[in-house]
Amino acid sequence: MQCIRLEYDVDGENFASAGNASESVKRTLKQMGVSPVSVRRVAIAMYEGEINMVIHAHGGKAVAEIYPDHIDIALKDTGPGIADIDLAMKAGYSTASENIRSLGFGAGMGLPNMKKYSDEMRIESAVGVGTTVFLRIDFE
Amino acid sequence: MKVSEFAKASGFAVFTSGEEREIESGYCGDFLSNIISRATDACCWLTVMNNVNVAAVATLIDCACIVLCEGVEPDAQLFERAKTAGIWILGANANVYETAKTVCRICGV
Repeated sequence: MQCIRLEYDVDGENFASAGNASESVKRTLKQMGVSPVSVRRVAIAMYEGEINMVIHAHGGKAVAEIYPDHIDIALKDTGPGIADIDLAMKAGYSTASENIRSLGFGAGMGLPNMKKYSDEMRIESAVGVGTTVFLRIDFE
Repeated sequence: MKVSEFAKASGFAVFTSGEEREIESGYCGDFLSNIISRATDACCWLTVMNNVNVAAVATLIDCACIVLCEGVEPDAQLFERAKTAGIWILGANANVYETAKTVCRICGV
């Protein structure tokens, strides 16, 4: 099946550009006439992933593949990895620093939000190697 | 009510202006994860956060406007990004609760 493939470099620790990839994907989906509810779900899930890469992993790559009925998103970083994925998935659990919290992040809702707003989510992570999060969101 | 009408009626400071939008609801919050998952489209978003991520979140949630409460002013990065993206940022001296009451009274949301 043909798809539209969008690739972004997510700049680590640069909050000025954080969210650019999600905004771009959101704009593209809107232009394609995807329903506002689906666009919103994609924007939330992808923004959380993008922010995680900025906060925890010195940036990375975000790839979005848009199909007529769904979107596949891969967020790949070479950061510290997640030692305990189950713990990281718990709402309210966060390893973000005070400094990051003062910016409005670190509520421990990033991964839970990604799960809540996607139809499929898979995390591959190895400590010291990096993390890749795969998301699929079906359009309504 | 339109954002420009609300700005005038409330007497709130206007730091940046944008596309004319109707205010249809309100949301108060500072944790960005809560906001992006819970704030509704076309809301008036009340916060005390003043960094550049506020503009990114405002774009993602499609809010009608941001109101910075408690006399908070946008920092330079937020100001620039909001200006470029055409996001309304208003400012109120009152705390978030009192500001929400003002939004409620004037906009009826």
